[in-house]
Amino acid sequence: MKKEVAYFKVNGRSYEVILTPETTLSELLREHLDLTGTKRACGVGECGSCTVLVDGIPTLACSTLAIAVRGKEVLTIEGLAKGTQLHPLQQAFIDSGAIQCGFCTSGMIMMAKALLDKNPNPSRQEVKEGLGGNLCRCTGYVKIIDAVMAAAEAMGKGADR
Amino acid sequence: MGPFEYFEPRTVGEATKLLFIHGEKAKIMAGGIDLIPRLRKGEIKAGYVVNIQNIPGLEHIEPNQKGEITFGAMARLRSIEGSETIQNKYPILYEAIHQITSVQTKYMGTAVGNLCVATPASDIATSLFALGARLKISGVKDERAEPIEKFYVDYHLTSLKQGEMVTGVLLPNPPPGTGTAFLNLVRTHADIAKISVAAAIVVQNGICREARLAIGAAAPTVLRAVNAEAFLMGQKVTPEVIHKAAEIAAGETKPITDIRSTAGYRREMAKVLVKRAVEKAVETVKA
Repeated sequence: MKKEVAYFKVNGRSYEVILTPETTLSELLREHLDLTGTKRACGVGECGSCTVLVDGIPTLACSTLAIAVRGKEVLTIEGLAKGTQLHPLQQAFIDSGAIQCGFCTSGMIMMAKALLDKNPNPSRQEVKEGLGGNLCRCTGYVKIIDAVMAAAEAMGKGADR
Repeated sequence: MGPFEYFEPRTVGEATKLLFIHGEKAKIMAGGIDLIPRLRKGEIKAGYVVNIQNIPGLEHIEPNQKGEITFGAMARLRSIEGSETIQNKYPILYEAIHQITSVQTKYMGTAVGNLCVATPASDIATSLFALGARLKISGVKDERAEPIEKFYVDYHLTSLKQGEMVTGVLLPNPPPGTGTAFLNLVRTHADIAKISVAAAIVVQNGICREARLAIGAAAPTVLRAVNAEAFLMGQKVTPEVIHKAAEIAAGETKPITDIRSTAGYRREMAKVLVKRAVEKAVETVKA
């Protein structure tokens, strides 16, 4: 259908994009803005790999129309690090060996961020439930949960969010 | 995804007008969690997408003058799950939502959107059948309220007419002496149910005064086991009576065989789950 100009806010930056209404948020990020950290795996809202935060709410970018998030704050994995300083969740995923093939990692970290923003001291069970919508086909769940617990602890001790 | 025209109405009136003008080619987008993947997979087509996310007043979860709880078409599953009123007053609706594993789905998706998909495997619809929910429907000219049973016509087919949309759900006050239970059978909790059962029973002095037994994933729509309900009415709820009611309920199902289960297994499990759900509902009356 007709292309139109739309304005987006992603990771604190403003973007002006010409797109069609059927463009999904994952297509906007990956193909229009070259923010390929957000992964598209199943593409139909089953796996959580494309999770980003929209006004702080964990959102499946593959099942969201880009046009519907105009003017909202979109946060992707690229927006977490401050320069070369990794976010505590990113550091914890590396330190805990929670990254195998890496395809689920961005979605896992964004979902974990949403969880820790609401609940800074989750139990292991709460982390498991919080990541219930994120699949890791390398099945490295134990280390992923370890990483989120470690990040929660680091952030509690004042590590920079 | 095929090309479509996109609208963001600001009032229910604007939305219903668009739906009326464009008819079946227009699809409502609430959370988008069902619509967008189905458009992408080509399972459905839309010439027009009507995004109702920016219509004010559809996100509420609140009591009306009679103390009945209503929630709007944009009330997200996560908000309904987190509502203490829902947890305390309608625990089976809370349970049906709580057991959904994907947190993202619950943040994005709406209960009304789930109902409008009209799948018989909806745990939310099954619990709302037992709770006697009514749907608030707005059209171009008027509004109506419809019991949830009437809303479901067939597989993926609702009673909505051209230009109509569901604006909310009304949950009646449970009568004194009500007990409820929700049970389902799943391969894993990330999957939809092979079969689900919700029961709401009013028991006074050991006698069943009212019964609503809903079964999901056992017919083209969620169904109420009306014969089993009629059998229970006025009876003392003994183990034998519950067993017989479960047998009658299983006989009312019309299950199919698919990748999740066989028709025969579904019918057998309907019997088991109805029995357990009625037992559990009766226990919650005493508590």
